[in-house]
Amino acid sequence: MNAVVDSVLLLPRNSAVAALKAYRTVISPLYGEVCRYYPSCSAYAVAAIQQHGVVIGSALGAARIARCHPWAAGGVDDAPAKKNFRYDVTPHGFVITNSQRKA
Amino acid sequence: MDLLSTILWPLKWVVELLLVAWHWVFSAIGLDPAAGLTWVLSIVGLVLVVRAALIPLFVKQIKNQRRMMEVAPQLKKIQEKYKGKKDQFSREAMSRETMELYKKTGTNPLGSCLPLLVQMPIFFALFSVLNDAQHSKEGVGPLNATLADQFGDASLFGFAPLHLSFSGAMNAVGGPEVGVMVVAAIMVVLMTASQFITQLQIVSKNISDETKASPMFRQQKVLLYILPFVFLFSGFTFPLGVMFYWLTSNIWTMVQQFLIIRNMPMPGTEAAKQREERLARKGKLVVESPSAETVVVQEKKPTQRQQPMGKNRAKKTGGAPGTPNIKNGS
Repeated sequence: MNAVVDSVLLLPRNSAVAALKAYRTVISPLYGEVCRYYPSCSAYAVAAIQQHGVVIGSALGAARIARCHPWAAGGVDDAPAKKNFRYDVTPHGFVITNSQRKA
Repeated sequence: MDLLSTILWPLKWVVELLLVAWHWVFSAIGLDPAAGLTWVLSIVGLVLVVRAALIPLFVKQIKNQRRMMEVAPQLKKIQEKYKGKKDQFSREAMSRETMELYKKTGTNPLGSCLPLLVQMPIFFALFSVLNDAQHSKEGVGPLNATLADQFGDASLFGFAPLHLSFSGAMNAVGGPEVGVMVVAAIMVVLMTASQFITQLQIVSKNISDETKASPMFRQQKVLLYILPFVFLFSGFTFPLGVMFYWLTSNIWTMVQQFLIIRNMPMPGTEAAKQREERLARKGKLVVESPSAETVVVQEKKPTQRQQPMGKNRAKKTGGAPGTPNIKNGS
């Protein structure tokens, strides 16, 4: 029961992750490597949404895009990890609950 | 007003202002205000303003690329450290270290996606300006109803209205307009060709041998052959006016790229060799940045540790690696 609630709760962030993954495989290679940061803005957004959900994650991603301009120094800039992150991330980047993993 | 049009509103306003301003200029020098040519030239004018505004960004990027020479030894060290390690973790660690190095030395060669992002809204703004004009709707700012009407009806070569697209012409009320479709098709071919040549210039001349071996380069090369299909799709749906903007912009990129590759190529590439040959023929070759060259050499020598030598061995070989040995021996 709890697992069902959890997967419904996680649906928005997993669909956002799926959309970003599609963007990263189809559109992003079109203009090559341009980002002045590591990880790139879209990879940052994926991590941020995995950790914080769609609303906060998107805001973090948008802030990152705003930060990434030709005058920025660039460098390594990871998405902030959430304290007490209670889910698991699959190798494909989707977020699942701990119980799902065990099952 | 929905969210997208709210975001685009200021940009549409600027696009309209630029279009109307150029239109005013061309009308003032005697061109017919309603003629297609006047509006087509206005679109060219718009491209010139936008691309000229982006020049400083490119200059900065090129300067950074040149400064890459200075960090080449350090970059090489990182590459050597991860040589042959193809797993994801090593690749990631390598990217991280490379980025740190760029940051530390201020030589980030990547231009961020801003130049791309800036162009995209302009593109959409022009698209919606033309789309509105198609329905004789006045713009959000300087493009009033009369001008919007004129703009939408202005024709390329006198028969292909700027607001029409290939699909629009195909499904026209009075049967398909073959002329417009032919013009659209020719535009797609020209757009593809200009993009292809630009990419090919970079790929074939301005990339060092090291980059050529990387997997990212191969990926980009595949792209070279996918892009025409992207243009094919857009050529089908975009109004002629938007395609004309795109085409002009492509031509600008092509010329800019040609000049950059010819006059300031990336060091260590085919283009750089050609430039040196050209200069040598004219007798103007100045050996550029010899300091960078020596840095590479100096960097390597001190790292080689001198083998410590025992007393006896030093005597046998007769060599005198250190003064203490000589003292003891005598």
